[in-house]
Amino acid sequence: MESSSSSYTRCLVGKCGAEGGTGLENAVHRGEGRKMAAPVRRLLYGAARGSGRPWGARTLGGAAAAASGRSAASSNGGSPWRLLGALCLQRPPIVSQPLTPLQVEMAELLQQIEVEKSRYSDHEIRALEETRRLERKKADIYDSDDDDEQNILLAQDLEDTWEQTFLQFKPQPRVTEADQKNDRTSLHRKLDQNLVLLVKEKMGDQETWMLPHAEWQDGETLRGTAERALATVSQNSVEAKFLGNAPCGYYKFKYPQAFRTENNIGAKVFFFKALLRSGDLSQARKKDDHAWVSKEELGDYLKPKYLAQVRRFFMDI
Amino acid sequence: MRGTPWCPLGACAEWGACAESGADRGENRQRAGQRQREEPGRAGPAMAALGVAVRALARQGRSAGPWACLGLDWPAMQVRGNHVWYTSLLLPRAVLPVRGEPLRKKKKVDPKKEQAAKDRLKKRIKKLEKATQELIPIEDFITPMKYLEEERQRPEQQLPVEDSERRTFLMKKWAVYRQQEHEAERDKIASMLEAQQEALRELRLESELLYQAATRRDESLFPFEKEGPTYTPASPGYQAPEGKYNDVTKVYVQVDHRK
Repeated sequence: MESSSSSYTRCLVGKCGAEGGTGLENAVHRGEGRKMAAPVRRLLYGAARGSGRPWGARTLGGAAAAASGRSAASSNGGSPWRLLGALCLQRPPIVSQPLTPLQVEMAELLQQIEVEKSRYSDHEIRALEETRRLERKKADIYDSDDDDEQNILLAQDLEDTWEQTFLQFKPQPRVTEADQKNDRTSLHRKLDQNLVLLVKEKMGDQETWMLPHAEWQDGETLRGTAERALATVSQNSVEAKFLGNAPCGYYKFKYPQAFRTENNIGAKVFFFKALLRSGDLSQARKKDDHAWVSKEELGDYLKPKYLAQVRRFFMDI
Repeated sequence: MRGTPWCPLGACAEWGACAESGADRGENRQRAGQRQREEPGRAGPAMAALGVAVRALARQGRSAGPWACLGLDWPAMQVRGNHVWYTSLLLPRAVLPVRGEPLRKKKKVDPKKEQAAKDRLKKRIKKLEKATQELIPIEDFITPMKYLEEERQRPEQQLPVEDSERRTFLMKKWAVYRQQEHEAERDKIASMLEAQQEALRELRLESELLYQAATRRDESLFPFEKEGPTYTPASPGYQAPEGKYNDVTKVYVQVDHRK
């Protein structure tokens, strides 16, 4: 990933500085998605013939900004939307989901059918013989013949010892303390569901809950922006596995009338999925600022439109 | 024996077990020659010396015939007692059958026989290659004979009518439930896919380059490994009980005859 992003940077800054058209062609030929090369090329030529302004302008603007030294708040060429890359960091479930009553019934039934269709195992045969021998002992006395074959340990005794060993093992509870206290900042709650990270940020005047995001800078892909957002939020204490280069969802919003300008109507946020591998946010952020939230609880935090978009790609299991 | 390296003393079949430097050999040969001239026909050390002389001569290529007139029991003479001493003296490089038989010439028919044998072998190899390979047996599919015995069978039980009816109804309910599960999963996947496609469309409207970067394949994603959920969460600091086990799994190797 590192090498591919650096090569991308080189292309933006170096080769396609002057002419946006050639730069786009380079991107097409360079890209590994060769299947898309033909239709994309047609699109590009169509765009070049028509108004290549938005795309060409973006690279020009990008190159100019790079030349002038990478201003963080670079406007996106001709497009009035600002780009933000956001992170949908998920903690995958640690424990399996509980079975519904129907599933429990069905499981028992299947087990019964399997036992009925099976043959006796060695252990079962041994147990049956021993019960028969015990009955014979009680009814009549045939001890002298059977003493040779008899084992001291009966099959029943073995089963009892196994049962005891199993009872000695104390497993961890599936419903943890964090569940009981409803501590939303803990990672050790709702072990059978997906949890997503939410942070409280100041947008304008209000403090709103949202997924962590960062503004897109020149020379990086949007996935790079999301990775940067993760590093900023967690201060490099969290390891995550990003699932691919493509965004999983987006959210478009316009600024309130006061903040709108000619070139700045609003912003588009693109979400990227990542799976949490290790690490914690407990040191990086204060208790109130972040929360690990399951799909049902999203409604407590997010605004309705934002929530609607997030629910499309964030699933409970 | 002929043609394989063997100890000239005839005592051991190993070659070179009693090897020494060339310089020593030269000296010893001279000494042996002198001794032979000095003490012909004496027992004990003379025998040893004679043995040496015979070897020296044999190296020069002469047959042992003339020496028979010395009255020496040539083939039967064994210098076992002084084996070590001889090994230090003698180091014939050439492997000559010192018994004295002349070398047999290789018959002309031999190469043909060898060729015929090689051809037969090649034919057999080709047949093996053409034949289908022996497949590795799957242990699970082979029922061991002991489980097919009579006494292993469970007694036949006729289920009461209510139980069989209950089972049938449960199966039907289960089929409906699984269908609902499948549809829910399908809808979730469709929703995720639709959200992704819309995001990519919007991204394309913004910037073609970023779109290209987003649609590029991520090489670092696969191979993707992840541990699945367990029934209970892991206990921190848990030490599994120690124990030994004998692994009796049979390992089969499929021999590929094709080269």
